[in-house]
Amino acid sequence: MASTSTPKPDEKSSSPAGSKPEQSQNTKTAGALEEDDEFEDFPVEDWPAEETEAANQQGNNTSGGTAADHLWEESWDDDDTSDDFSAQLREELKKVDAAKRR
Amino acid sequence: MSLTVQFLSEIRKFLKNRNGHGLRGLLLVEPPVPNNYYQLADELKQGYRNGASLLKLVDKCLPEDDNVSDDEGTAWPGFVSFMKDYLEYWRDVDFDDLLGAHQLLTALTNSCTTALNNPTYGTIMLQTSISLCGCLSKLSMMLNKRPDLTQKLQTVDAGEEEQKSIVETTAEIIQKVFTACLTDRSSQRHEQPKGKKTGVYTFANVTLKLLFAVSSENASGEAAFHKYHSQSAAVIILPGSAAGYFLYYLGRFHFINNHFSRAAQCYQEAYLETPQRFESHRWLVLTYLIPCNLLLGRIPSPQLLQRPEAQLLAPIYMPFVEAMRTGNFLRFQAALDANEKWLFSRGVFLTLLFRLRPMVWRAFSRRTFLLTYIAPTEADSRKAATLELSHLLTTATFVQKRLEGYLPAHPGRKPRQPHINSMFLKAHASAAARGAEILRPNEGLVWGNMPVTEDHIENFVASLVAQGLLHGFIAHSQGRFAIIGAKQKGAVAAGWPPPAEILATGLKAGEDVPGWVKRV
Repeated sequence: MASTSTPKPDEKSSSPAGSKPEQSQNTKTAGALEEDDEFEDFPVEDWPAEETEAANQQGNNTSGGTAADHLWEESWDDDDTSDDFSAQLREELKKVDAAKRR
Repeated sequence: MSLTVQFLSEIRKFLKNRNGHGLRGLLLVEPPVPNNYYQLADELKQGYRNGASLLKLVDKCLPEDDNVSDDEGTAWPGFVSFMKDYLEYWRDVDFDDLLGAHQLLTALTNSCTTALNNPTYGTIMLQTSISLCGCLSKLSMMLNKRPDLTQKLQTVDAGEEEQKSIVETTAEIIQKVFTACLTDRSSQRHEQPKGKKTGVYTFANVTLKLLFAVSSENASGEAAFHKYHSQSAAVIILPGSAAGYFLYYLGRFHFINNHFSRAAQCYQEAYLETPQRFESHRWLVLTYLIPCNLLLGRIPSPQLLQRPEAQLLAPIYMPFVEAMRTGNFLRFQAALDANEKWLFSRGVFLTLLFRLRPMVWRAFSRRTFLLTYIAPTEADSRKAATLELSHLLTTATFVQKRLEGYLPAHPGRKPRQPHINSMFLKAHASAAARGAEILRPNEGLVWGNMPVTEDHIENFVASLVAQGLLHGFIAHSQGRFAIIGAKQKGAVAAGWPPPAEILATGLKAGEDVPGWVKRV
């Protein structure tokens, strides 16, 4: 069979997971909030482990924590009562307390 | 030599070399394709209208060779049958008739699954199966958005016991391919997947994408995940695109089922394993990873918020964080109102509305305590640290009125009023004109405009104690919440432990997540 007449694989159509240009994956604009939440195929099927945050953090991590530890805070209570909301609550409590004493 | 015979002899070469990738590259089913595929179709239309003669031709061109060495392959009956279907597909397909194309592609995919099931040579078909399933899934999703076409199909099928959508039917077909891969015995659980098993997550992902497209709360999704988990031959997830994809959908599933710790683990892994260059994928994962963590008592760090993928999400989620930190129900309601449509479309709105509310109540009771508690001056005082529930009723009543549209009166402008009621609050000009705003049930502290009572307050506090978000007990007869351990830790720290200590233990311990076989 002559190679010229044999149907040849088309790079794009033969690779559903690899057919999208990478650029379109990387751009998110304000309009993104309107897009649906379909998880699009990745433009490549695989990538080197060193490229992931998990691998990088494990390499730098000497304290025994996980790669995600620095992404979250667990102690976040706000003790400042000088804000407007607190001031309004304080005022209300005072009024009610005064009314009770009468 | 006819084009069909040339095509089949090329196929035979790939079979002989066991070249699955080559086979996939040749067995195309959707445009754009080189022109000679259309020439092939024309030739088949002219010379092979009859299925039997086509089968005869394929049989002749793809004979089952004897004495095949270990590293070589040959045709088998299932493959011959598949090739006949493939040629018939090209003969009959009309890409302008999407429904017809879908039916032909469905038949071809079923035929491919049969060929894939061959224990000796089936693996050669893995890449082709992936390609066909991808195309079938794409076409089904396209049809799912064309009710004008699928309606016709439903009319034809009317009368069956249970009407399944085109997407559900496709998902079932692809699940069969998934099962064929899963039952490959060439590698054990927790081992590096080999052979057909390497395709497990690819097919699982296509199925999940379809099921979530039908409905994010589809029971079939649950059945699919249970199947993935219960199969003793389940496969470990190796990093890469298939893993990111699978964990995203597994996270969605656990999130919908209110298993936030499990969902957070899935999203966290998906996020950390997705390189930074895939910003839109990380953004989508973060869309759920952030609310999951909020519900587990963890807020995004400044480091996370500075990342490009967090830029659009920070204005949406940070007001919730503020509400959690300060107990400000007005901010909480405003955060829900500001992006209600978007949050709802993501399936996050109702979860935050109901599940984050206890966290705001916790901070609100804490704030009331900070404003009212007077610590004993004597060092050896045996007086317990308590929050008076009546104080919490006062602040809650105030907040309820604010939610109803009343604004606080400026202190000093009016003489003090003797009772706690709306007279303490000056109604906003417009609110005064029409009275209190009519709140939807979820917009009030208890239920719409229902006034907050002592019983409600005791109920809320008891519920927080039961959840571990407050540490102490209710002294009912005294109308107080008494803190346990105030002497050792200080009243506030003892009474209101960090929520993550209670809620995120499973996440931090890496508890088992159904549907996910972790690397060990």
